[in-house]
Amino acid sequence: MIAMLLAGGQGSRLGVLTAKVAKPAVAFGGKYRIIDFPLSNCINSGIDTVGVLTQYQPLRLNTHIGIGIPWDLDRNVGGVTVLPPYEQSGKTEWYTGTANAIYQNLAYMESYNPDYVLILSGDHIYKMDYEVMLEYHKSHHADVSIAVMPVPMQEASRFGIVVTDDKGHITEFQEKPEHPKSNLASMGIYIFNWSVLKESLMTLSEQPNCDFGKHVIPYCFGKGENLVAYEYNGYWKDVGTLGSYWEANMELIDIIPEFNLYEEFWKIYTKNDIIPPQYISGDARISRSLIGDGTEIEGEVMNSVIGCGVRIGKGAVVRDSIVMQGSVIGDGAVLDRTILAENVSVGARAVLGVGENVPNRIKPNVYSFGLAVVGENTVIPAGVRIGKNTAVTGLTVLEDYQDGLLASGETLDKAGVVS
Amino acid sequence: MRAVGIILAGGNSYRMKELSNKRAIAAMPIAGSYRSIDFALSSMSNSHVQKVAVLTQYNSRSLNEHLSSSKWWDFGRKQGGLFVFPPMQTPDNSFWYRGTADALHQNLNWLKDCHEPYVIIAPGDGIYKLDFNKVLEYHIAKKADVTVVCRELPAGEDVTRFGLLKMNDDCRIEQFEEKPMAAISSTISCGIYVVRRRQLIELIERCGQEGRFDFVKDVLIRYKDVKRIYGYRITSYWNNIASVESYYRTNMDFLKPEVRDYFFRQHPDVYTKIDDLPPAKYNPGCEVKNSLISSGSIINGYVENSVLFKDVFVGENCVVRNCVILNSVYIGDNVHLENCIVESRNTIRPNKSYIGENGPYIVTESGDRYLL
Repeated sequence: MIAMLLAGGQGSRLGVLTAKVAKPAVAFGGKYRIIDFPLSNCINSGIDTVGVLTQYQPLRLNTHIGIGIPWDLDRNVGGVTVLPPYEQSGKTEWYTGTANAIYQNLAYMESYNPDYVLILSGDHIYKMDYEVMLEYHKSHHADVSIAVMPVPMQEASRFGIVVTDDKGHITEFQEKPEHPKSNLASMGIYIFNWSVLKESLMTLSEQPNCDFGKHVIPYCFGKGENLVAYEYNGYWKDVGTLGSYWEANMELIDIIPEFNLYEEFWKIYTKNDIIPPQYISGDARISRSLIGDGTEIEGEVMNSVIGCGVRIGKGAVVRDSIVMQGSVIGDGAVLDRTILAENVSVGARAVLGVGENVPNRIKPNVYSFGLAVVGENTVIPAGVRIGKNTAVTGLTVLEDYQDGLLASGETLDKAGVVS
Repeated sequence: MRAVGIILAGGNSYRMKELSNKRAIAAMPIAGSYRSIDFALSSMSNSHVQKVAVLTQYNSRSLNEHLSSSKWWDFGRKQGGLFVFPPMQTPDNSFWYRGTADALHQNLNWLKDCHEPYVIIAPGDGIYKLDFNKVLEYHIAKKADVTVVCRELPAGEDVTRFGLLKMNDDCRIEQFEEKPMAAISSTISCGIYVVRRRQLIELIERCGQEGRFDFVKDVLIRYKDVKRIYGYRITSYWNNIASVESYYRTNMDFLKPEVRDYFFRQHPDVYTKIDDLPPAKYNPGCEVKNSLISSGSIINGYVENSVLFKDVFVGENCVVRNCVILNSVYIGDNVHLENCIVESRNTIRPNKSYIGENGPYIVTESGDRYLL
């Protein structure tokens, strides 16, 4: 079995966090990036041939994956291959949909002539043994298996729902139904028999924006292929919104988290750029937090996830926040419910996450949850105050802040990335 | 780089007491994330030495595990690479390495097959960063036969565990004594040598014929009047960890901001084998002051002025003060540790107390983890 990992999406609901990086390359949990989870699942499941389909802002993703050394995917045969869209004689197009992306890489899969193809997306946090799913697929003589998980019935109308008979065979699909007949939501993880996948992609090649959920699966279903649902009951988190991204990070710092990174079994691998240990000074106070390598802390950190190589100055307070790799927080700065992307510099005594919970004026659906979000390489001058539901990017100076304040719900976009 | 590297990592030291029971000195964990050989290997890699041989003998398995892949130090190249040479039985030789010169002698074939004109010899227990290009330039400029990297002895150090030397104004070494009873000077050898490869082969072959086995005694000291042996002074951080005291102090040095800045933040980096461990986790009730904490650790108790290596668990209500806790130690609840070095993979049962009175106390309690 080979795996095809869809990692080309922008993840626009993560706002400025994905302004310069694809969503799978967004940092997570102190030292990881989101794509580490499916990639580690692959190697832990014994899958050593993985095609990673990239499109949106692939630089960080490409450098992270490299030749796959951290995941032991540097192989003589197989290994990891990054597959960007490419120019073709005749019709050239971007990856217009998930299935279209796979279709454009038929030649890659053909070269391995696999029995089965696993389709994954690069933006979920979970541990899953794909080999168990493959066993299930085989034992049910399935043509297509779809991983599903039970969700609360009242939330089922947000998902693509599958209805199964008592043997696990799928009898009906409902896309975001008003009156769901079941609570099994599709996780976007599929195993196809190679012949079935190839045939359906060829048939649907002219379909615009060809998508697995919308086109390929219904096509296979309509053709009478044997579709089965593989029920998964572990931890699975879609970190598609700032709220769920923040929440998933916060869940890691529970005393015994539901999603436990400290288990010897099923390790999550990542590329380590920063090796030295972290230093906690005599003035620091830390509680309920995850802290990455090479970080130096002189301030106070509570309920937070801090990445590698971060510096937190004297008297600074970081509360309920996520700070990614390489950011520097000046002396006396205060962060409440803030997400700092990579290499952000926060000036001394700046205060983030103050004031009322006013909805964001430009993108109320993205910048909500009461979070202050700061894009990568942003500079925040000393002494300013920044409200809730805000987004800040670029090299900002004191003059950008009226009376030294960016009120709740406002957006300060000096990098020009918020459209 | 026009030199090959040789790292002498085979020796044992009684001064390390229990700490060397299960590992080579060169594999001693340092500063939370590293092992001592990483410093020599990284300096060579960063100086673009492409071919490095590590000569191992005593407790070599620990070191071999650490060196299982050469990619961490960027030696996984088609040109050169990282070689590990334990003693080997041949038709001509059935001995272990009987000394540093003998170790070189037993690997003379490899040295003869190299094409690089110079050789850099370094021990595996030095904690430093060094640009070997500069030493080599100096060696060539001085038209030296052997260049010895040396430095001023830090005040209060025990002289008798070093090689002491005295140089003239031109930095040529006039006196050299190995581990003397009384100090002849305050300049010590760092055990790092640069020598022309053909010169080294000639010297070592001679040692072999004469049945002499020690590089310092039988080469440097014996030839100091007939060969041009020069000293290259360094002033940057250097320490060796050949005793429990110095091992403890070297780790504690990393609590100083200037030492951390020098090794962790200034170019070039020190590399090591990557263990895939999650970030360190601080649970409610923990208190950490002036300490280094490494990845994979989980802290519930009180930690002060200590260096915690990777994958350490500190239970609730613990007090850990002025300690060096090596890899994968599990400390149960209500444990009190002060001035201790806790051996790796130890499991300390709840309510235990260890306090080092005169110097660091080495805790080797191997309680069974899964019976707790």
